[in-house]
Amino acid sequence: MHFTYNPQSTSPIHALKGIDLDIYSGDYLAIIGHNGCGKSTLAKQCNALLRPTEGNVWVKGLNSRDMADTLAIRSAVGMVFQVPDNQIVATIVEEDVAFGPENLGVPEDELHERVEWALGVVSMQEHRHRQPHRLSAGQKQRVAIAGVMAMKPEVLVLDEATSMLDPEGRRDVLAAVRALNKEGVTVVAITHYMPEAVEGNRVVVMEEGRIVMEGTPRETFARVEELRALQLDVPQATELAYQLNHLDDTFPPDLLRVDEVVDAVQRRVALRRGAPATEAESQADKIGMADEEPNRGEPGARPDEPFIQVTDLHHSYLSGTPLAVTALRGVSLEIHRGEVVGIIGRTGSGKSTVVQHMNGLLRPREPGKVLVDGQDLTDPSVDVRRIRQKVGLAFQYPEQQLFERLVGDDIAFGPKKLGLARPERIERVRWAMEMVGLDFEAFKDRYTSSLSGGEMRKAALAGVLALQPEALILDESTSGLDPRSRKELLDRLLALHRQQGLTLVLVSASMEEVAGLVDRVYVMDEGRVVMSGTVREVFAQADRLRQVGLGVPQVTEVAYALIEQGIAVEDIPLTVAEGVETVWRILSS
Amino acid sequence: MEDFELLRYVTIGQYLPGESIVHRLDPRTKISVFLFLTLAVTFNRSYTGNAIMLAVTLGLVLLSGISLRYIVSGIKPALPFIMILSILQLLFYSEAYAPYGMTTQTLFQWGWIHVTNGSVQLVVVSLLRFVELLFLTSLLTNTTTLADLTHGIEAMLRPFSRVGLPAHELSLVATVALRFLPLLAEQLEIIMKAQASRGADIALRGRLRFVATARQAAVLIVPLFVDAFRRAEDLILAMQARCYVGGRGRTSYVRLRFARLDYIAYAAGLLFAAAMLVCRNRFPF
Repeated sequence: MHFTYNPQSTSPIHALKGIDLDIYSGDYLAIIGHNGCGKSTLAKQCNALLRPTEGNVWVKGLNSRDMADTLAIRSAVGMVFQVPDNQIVATIVEEDVAFGPENLGVPEDELHERVEWALGVVSMQEHRHRQPHRLSAGQKQRVAIAGVMAMKPEVLVLDEATSMLDPEGRRDVLAAVRALNKEGVTVVAITHYMPEAVEGNRVVVMEEGRIVMEGTPRETFARVEELRALQLDVPQATELAYQLNHLDDTFPPDLLRVDEVVDAVQRRVALRRGAPATEAESQADKIGMADEEPNRGEPGARPDEPFIQVTDLHHSYLSGTPLAVTALRGVSLEIHRGEVVGIIGRTGSGKSTVVQHMNGLLRPREPGKVLVDGQDLTDPSVDVRRIRQKVGLAFQYPEQQLFERLVGDDIAFGPKKLGLARPERIERVRWAMEMVGLDFEAFKDRYTSSLSGGEMRKAALAGVLALQPEALILDESTSGLDPRSRKELLDRLLALHRQQGLTLVLVSASMEEVAGLVDRVYVMDEGRVVMSGTVREVFAQADRLRQVGLGVPQVTEVAYALIEQGIAVEDIPLTVAEGVETVWRILSS
Repeated sequence: MEDFELLRYVTIGQYLPGESIVHRLDPRTKISVFLFLTLAVTFNRSYTGNAIMLAVTLGLVLLSGISLRYIVSGIKPALPFIMILSILQLLFYSEAYAPYGMTTQTLFQWGWIHVTNGSVQLVVVSLLRFVELLFLTSLLTNTTTLADLTHGIEAMLRPFSRVGLPAHELSLVATVALRFLPLLAEQLEIIMKAQASRGADIALRGRLRFVATARQAAVLIVPLFVDAFRRAEDLILAMQARCYVGGRGRTSYVRLRFARLDYIAYAAGLLFAAAMLVCRNRFPF
């Protein structure tokens, strides 16, 4: 099957190039591949939202080219999309769930039964009368799944449905999907979150409109090198097993989940117990793992005065109205010059509210205090524009931050507002674009709307960098990016941090995302800082992290599971490399 | 500090959950009674009539349990306009407007400024009407979810679908618009914050601020519209995927039901409004 976007135009895009794929009833099929590989296009072929330009798609014996069968196909194959907000039609949860079956003309009594059942499937009954925009992203996505399930489809297609969710939301959505698959619903999940791809019984890997690998998760993820060549990740647990297999080829290389790795290690420890421990230390040394401990902010060079200091900060949105929402309940934290600090918490924990105080978008109220570079933001005479120039803030979606037509103009927006002369402005723009990896000549006259998602993010970041801030705050600016683009972007910022001493504050909903990057983290929950310290100190409290809706990396989970099994683990690993070292020590002692 | 809280000043149209009698009424009842009372307010130009209307609407607000202060805070942004309008009426409508139930008397004259008891009445009655209408609108929208409002309107328009009025489509358009409104407000807030973070001056001062505001609105509106279109495209796909092909053959999940309370409220509203309309020229002053 082939598919071309705009086949008649001068620049047709050949998105799918000869796809042959059978999906069987009851399958849980994961499709992986990075942005632009054609996986979403393939998904839309499954329910006749797109129709092949060559070849055929058959759904339950119906050809998707046959317009008369469109509704039959769409009611058999339900689809959940990436952005939760953009697929909810009604203003009340239960009415949205009813939208699909209403379209199918389901009689009223059955409608109510179906809505009840579908809300039950995703555990959202108690929220049935709420307005969708007051729900969390994970809850919205569960409503979207319920809305599809209420049509009683046989196939559920998830088009990156979890990519915008925090770990907790993702967990809840996956649990719902898993339960549906157990009941016999066929699932097709498009994802770039690898632990999710392991859920299924089949994995398809796509690259440039073609299927390049296909098989069970075990078969597919065992081909670590090939996946890496495609610049795709494998789950940390798999990576760990794979690397251990390199050190000792009796260790199974094709493990997928944390519990499998733990089992394998435990079995070996039980076998070897009593056997003489030979040259354990030298073996471990031979691995020669580079110490990946972040070690950038020189503690000695740190001045006593923090660059940003937040003390006992409280904040309510719409305060003084019946709709007031308390967002912060006494937050104190400090960020020193040249540090890389993470602020972590689930959606709604107050992390965005805190960082918006740091550049004067929100002003502190008594008794709260925010000091930036020694200036007290409580003082109304402070020039917030100076503060905003010192502390750059980048938001999550680049589309919301690009507001000029041309890339160059957009990046020049800040310098222009600073009143810089034209040559200096151009210099700033050139510098900022180079910093994020956009070629000045090639991109300065491009329309912002013509950029790809990754380029948009770079342009948006360049716009903030062009102010030459001393500190840069990224408010989930990398979520929703595929792993390759995210790594690229963060690497550039870290380079800037090393070369120019840029202070970085990374705001995220996921510990994994910041684990190898930051010096210190603050963990927030319900408007308070509930934990703080080095990543290692915080990860040492895995249970508390779980309580506040956050997870730890799979390698860390492996270590904790081993401890639970009574196996001594000296250092809690945070990265795969550390994990390999730790487990190897255990295995060889 | 609240530069960015766009929803703060919009009190009309914001549903406030509650359990009062007003909350529990069928949306069709509320819409109908709202229309009856609005007519009654519009056609009463006497002090007495407006005093009665004010008392009744105030009574209804108290009955609904919505904080009076919250409703009144909604006037704040409109206050300068109301003031200017009142002054203009007071000074320049003295000839044009014959007072209700009184003979015209000049109260104050200085040069071309000329205040009569007619223009005083006009100002006072206009202000009263404004408050009454504010009460009524807040009463309807603060006690009824937007979903219920659209269902109510759809149900009231349905009889007209036989003559070609697309009642379902209109109601879907309204629903989607209402669904996206908070998203767009949120979006606008983020765009403003992103611009402010890059040095844009949002809290404008100075003489030429009208020009600057207009120019700034342009930079806000373009990304806002781009975003709205993107969302709309997504939504179309999602609706197609859920088999939406228009109103034909659709069933409806929500069924509105009239309870006894509704009949009573409907009748009371209708009778009272009719009485006010009939008596509008019989009040002494």
